[in-house]
Amino acid sequence: MDRILEVNNLTKSFDQGKNYALKDVSFHIDRGHICAVVGESGSGKTTLIRLISGLENPDYGEIILNNNTVSSLKKVVQPEKRNIGMVFQEYALFPHLSVMDNVLYGLNKSKNKKERALEVIQLVGLADFEKRYPHELSGGQQQRVALARALAPNPSLLILDEPFSNLDAMMRHQLRNEVFNIIKKTGVTAIFVTHDTQDALAVADEILILQNGQLVQKDEASKLYNKPQSIYVASLFGNTVQLNKGLKKAFRCPLKEDCCHAIRNENITINASDCEYVTEAIILKRTFLGTHSQLLLKLENGENLTVVTNEAVLGDTLKIGFNSKDVLQFDE
Amino acid sequence: MKQVGSNKESFSLKNRLQRGIRDLNKWTVFTVLILLFIAVPVITIFFKLFDGPGESWEHITNYLLIDYLKNSLYLSFLCTLITLFSGVFSAWIVTRFEFPLRTYLEWLLIIPLAIPGYIMAYAYAGFFDYGGIFSWLLSPLGIENLKLDMMNVVGLSFVLGISLFPYVYVSARAFFLTQALNLLEASRLLGVSETKSFFKLVFPLARPAIVAGLVLVLMEVLNDYGAAEYYGVNTFTTGIFRSWFSLEEPETAIYLSALLLSIVFVLIILEKYQRRKMQYTTPKSGKTSIDHRIKLSYPKQIVLCVLVSLPVILGFVIPVIQLVQWAVRTFNEVFNKDLLWLSLQSFGIAFVAACFTVLFALLLLYFSKWNKIYSVQSASKLGVLGYAIPGAVVAIGVMVPTLSLDKSFIEWGWASKFIINGTLIALVYAYVVRFLAVAYQPLESSSLKVNSSIPDSSKILGMGNFKTFFKIEFPLLKAGMLSAFILVFIDILKELPLTLILKPYHINTLAVNAYGYASDEMVMHASIPSLFIILTALIPVIVLNKLLLKNG
Repeated sequence: MDRILEVNNLTKSFDQGKNYALKDVSFHIDRGHICAVVGESGSGKTTLIRLISGLENPDYGEIILNNNTVSSLKKVVQPEKRNIGMVFQEYALFPHLSVMDNVLYGLNKSKNKKERALEVIQLVGLADFEKRYPHELSGGQQQRVALARALAPNPSLLILDEPFSNLDAMMRHQLRNEVFNIIKKTGVTAIFVTHDTQDALAVADEILILQNGQLVQKDEASKLYNKPQSIYVASLFGNTVQLNKGLKKAFRCPLKEDCCHAIRNENITINASDCEYVTEAIILKRTFLGTHSQLLLKLENGENLTVVTNEAVLGDTLKIGFNSKDVLQFDE
Repeated sequence: MKQVGSNKESFSLKNRLQRGIRDLNKWTVFTVLILLFIAVPVITIFFKLFDGPGESWEHITNYLLIDYLKNSLYLSFLCTLITLFSGVFSAWIVTRFEFPLRTYLEWLLIIPLAIPGYIMAYAYAGFFDYGGIFSWLLSPLGIENLKLDMMNVVGLSFVLGISLFPYVYVSARAFFLTQALNLLEASRLLGVSETKSFFKLVFPLARPAIVAGLVLVLMEVLNDYGAAEYYGVNTFTTGIFRSWFSLEEPETAIYLSALLLSIVFVLIILEKYQRRKMQYTTPKSGKTSIDHRIKLSYPKQIVLCVLVSLPVILGFVIPVIQLVQWAVRTFNEVFNKDLLWLSLQSFGIAFVAACFTVLFALLLLYFSKWNKIYSVQSASKLGVLGYAIPGAVVAIGVMVPTLSLDKSFIEWGWASKFIINGTLIALVYAYVVRFLAVAYQPLESSSLKVNSSIPDSSKILGMGNFKTFFKIEFPLLKAGMLSAFILVFIDILKELPLTLILKPYHINTLAVNAYGYASDEMVMHASIPSLFIILTALIPVIVLNKLLLKNG
């Protein structure tokens, strides 16, 4: 498979090297893939895509798009010459132009621009809205106009910056599926930034994890989930309990002391004695959270542990445990 | 991930240089060129200092300089008192209390800004003179022929203070409206009384905003020429005029200008310093409790109404009544074809110069955005410092280089007479330097309101900087450009010292005309051109304030 995008040692600092927004990031994306960039806020996600689109110049490293070097220490190709499509977090529709004119905006050079514009407007399901202005549309509709506008010039790479963060939870899931169905249909290579790991797991072919400006892991969704390379990556995808010395002792599990181990909350079994590692616990506090409840436990050896469960827990004591196959092991 | 160890390397000198060369584009060059173009007057004054002062410099330092300093300090001190007192308290009263006519007074308090200091000075000199309106008002009380002598520092401070206090009022009110009321509620819930809360909490918190307004006042005070000259008070600006015109010693004028400039820069640095030390901004919450203004008993409400009306009466009503009285008496003499022709010239010059100023502000704003070198981007902010430089200093700084440029042109045989100095070119150039900031600020704030991802997405969709500007930013900036244009237009119409020094011989403006009558002992005749200026300045004061209220 050929590579659409290749990024080598990409580095960017906004204060002359005191702090790094992005530090030595290298990766590549194959044609037709959808890649998610995940990380906490401030981890460098937005800087990465602004560098790829050419809105910022890198301090070091290079970006190769379609086998052409577009950013390096020697030159930077301007954003308007990169053939990239971008959907911004706040959509960035041109407020004084109609839907049709917004979509036509990037089609200056093509011949059948009217037809192409109508085609993409139809593709995103806004066929009767082309004369409307952005302020006359709902959030979801504006999102789709932004997508149509970005897709119209047939970009070689489509970038989406937090595409669903401005929408409420209900809209979000529906629109996520719609948007990525459309993207899949067009076959365009896409890279999207999100802080919601559910979005990433649901639609991405591969996921890139950023922490403090550094790339910590890049893998397929299932691999990332089952074999996270650090506790940071593991905890991005759900409640994770790090197994410190005291916890290892309480559960009497023979894990190496010098390795870092963790267990996902959903793999901790409550009221069960058929696990490999089991211990008794006293419930110190229960917090009711609707479908499930949070328990603060005191283990046999005095160690505290917080778990979330959807099982009914009666009485003041219980047995909890987990199996060795579910233990996550990290190198550091 | 494999670490290449590029991080230390990436900020090595070699890489920095390479990046500098990569990021240097034509916009960087243009930005620097515009900045130099704006800086020429200041640079000129700086280099001319090395030529040494003129013959009278010693006389001035021995006898006059201490006078200039003393007067400027005294003037600044009294104006600070007057503007603080009338600006802050009126702002607090209109935001905190409910009383009759409050909504009208809220914007009427801005209106004194429409009257330039020198016109205020003419009007008050007449008002308190023998047989003036003041003594006429007192005559029923048996007090005859009373004269209040205005021709001194105290009188000058009064007229300047009363015409400039709206700067403090506007910035204090903006702070009170957006920030103070939430804090005040919290303070009162903690059991602190209203008055105590004001002095312990609101006033200290509002200090940066109030000082920012005050610095504008002081800059205008240092800039004033017409009022100080008419009242016979020696200040730096009148000194510059005297050395330039009476003593004909440009070197001395340059030395005085440099001194005045240093005072202004100290002011700017102090203002920046106090702002940095007190970054008191509380997060904006959507609703303030403006709707819950305090309603005192009716007699007390009347007292508040009178208190707040006072600055309006002193700063607008009285001078306008005086001017109108004079205008009626001199109408047949002054109101003729010449005056209309004069107004036309005045408006024409202001129009052309305002267009150029807005254009240069736009160019500076966008060229520096399009340039990719951050240090040049931040340096572009220096371009707006022209507003801090007193008009007389800008004029001297423009006069000197244009004069030598013209002389060289004639020497080289490129021209047979002066083509820059003493023509509209030099005048318009000086206006651009002085008023660039006035245009830059509204443009910058309205361009900040356009989400930066909008022009970004235009570029990603294949449009260059210029196409993006004309297709996307220009239509969205129209309102900002209009208000920038109006503000500059009015400032140029009112401008006196710079115009006096640089205007072409055969051309006159309304301000120069009014000044001319006043210095020829015909101050009554100055009333009609003065009223023309005030009327024109009034329109945007009202319109802009309506806009402010809508947005605020």
